[in-house]
Amino acid sequence: MKKTHENTFAVYLLTDHLLHIIYKKVPCINVKAAQLIVKDRMELQEGKVMPVLCDIREVRNIDKAARDYLALEGSLWIKKLAFLIDPPVTDMISSIYLDTHAQKVPTQSFTKKAEALAYLGIKETDDN
Amino acid sequence: MPNSDDFRVKRIQKMLLEMAKGNFFYSIEPMDKNDNIASLVVMLNMVNEEIGAAFIHQGFANAHNTPQCVIQLSMILDANGQIELLTNGTCSLLSYPPKDLFGKHITEFMTERSRERWAKKMSKHFKRERSETVLFLEFITNDGLLLAKDCQISVYQALDGSGQKTLLNSVFFSKGEPFETGLPKNKLKVTKGIKEHKVTLTPEDIQIIRDVHDMIINNLDKDLPTLQDLARQKGTNEYKLKYGFKQIYGTTIFRFLIRERLRMARTLIQHSTLTIKQIIQMTGFKSKTHFSRAFKDKYGMSPTDLRS
Repeated sequence: MKKTHENTFAVYLLTDHLLHIIYKKVPCINVKAAQLIVKDRMELQEGKVMPVLCDIREVRNIDKAARDYLALEGSLWIKKLAFLIDPPVTDMISSIYLDTHAQKVPTQSFTKKAEALAYLGIKETDDN
Repeated sequence: MPNSDDFRVKRIQKMLLEMAKGNFFYSIEPMDKNDNIASLVVMLNMVNEEIGAAFIHQGFANAHNTPQCVIQLSMILDANGQIELLTNGTCSLLSYPPKDLFGKHITEFMTERSRERWAKKMSKHFKRERSETVLFLEFITNDGLLLAKDCQISVYQALDGSGQKTLLNSVFFSKGEPFETGLPKNKLKVTKGIKEHKVTLTPEDIQIIRDVHDMIINNLDKDLPTLQDLARQKGTNEYKLKYGFKQIYGTTIFRFLIRERLRMARTLIQHSTLTIKQIIQMTGFKSKTHFSRAFKDKYGMSPTDLRS
């Protein structure tokens, strides 16, 4: 089963074993954006707990209220989380986020997609 | 020029200076670039937000005695949107001398985004006799830093017939000068004999309490052990845990647990198709009545109302 979805802030690609979220290039992710991102993700997953690959390479600004929301409300139904980053900016964003917020979900950052998928226990295919 | 490394480093220095003074309400406009300076800017903005939040949070350890003051951004605009009157606080916030601000159009000091937002949102308010709104605006200071905040904006008609005026207000917390000495030093107490519990916390104690905080968040569905057991598990004592938690997080452990459980329940009610009964189980509530009452107290509506 494959599903895709898109809103102002992100593109979602859902397969049976993985949810791939690609953040779009926007001026700032604020708490309203974070709420929409989480709402759409949950509606897409329909209660299924799964690993998530989160491509944040285009993110340049995310405010504290949004970070707090994503860390708490935004962590439901995620088995394992891998950030795809592009140093130095998104490396910095993910490091600060991970260091200042208590993680409910095991999370790590990667610069290579193959490594991120390996961490999530997914084989790289054309689907993801 | 504005994008040269030298210029960007100067901005970072300005920003650090403001932080050193205890002003956490500035930020630096992030850029599209992906280089080391851009990453430093991102880091500075995020660290600034984290420190600022801890600083304003009244329950933070020792925050009782942190001197705070409020700086008000306040100005009156004439019918054309030109600045007619402003407070000294506004001048120092924007770091312009008053003469550079008087008579200028308000939008000259905004980011492009805010200018568009101002034009779009305010046009309907300007058509009315009186109107009031809250608008998120980003101002650019003379030093090139960003000042972003929700502003309260009131449009009204001047009594002397000079036409429409606009009042713009916002407040910022700063470390700055302590409150005037004329204020009572001790808080008023409603009931006599209430003891104020104060514990001295070592860095290790604070770490233990933070661990407890994280443990609660990560185990919302499970029963909380008694405070005594929890304290023993973590190698501290019940008194320190109880009052230390309150001191750092501004609420009791039990209230915090309920608050976080309700938050998770709300997200599930809004975005999942799980039944309310399932959600109650998942969030560790023991009875439906207790859950419904707590939920309604917190969010002003019952779980079923939120669903529908």
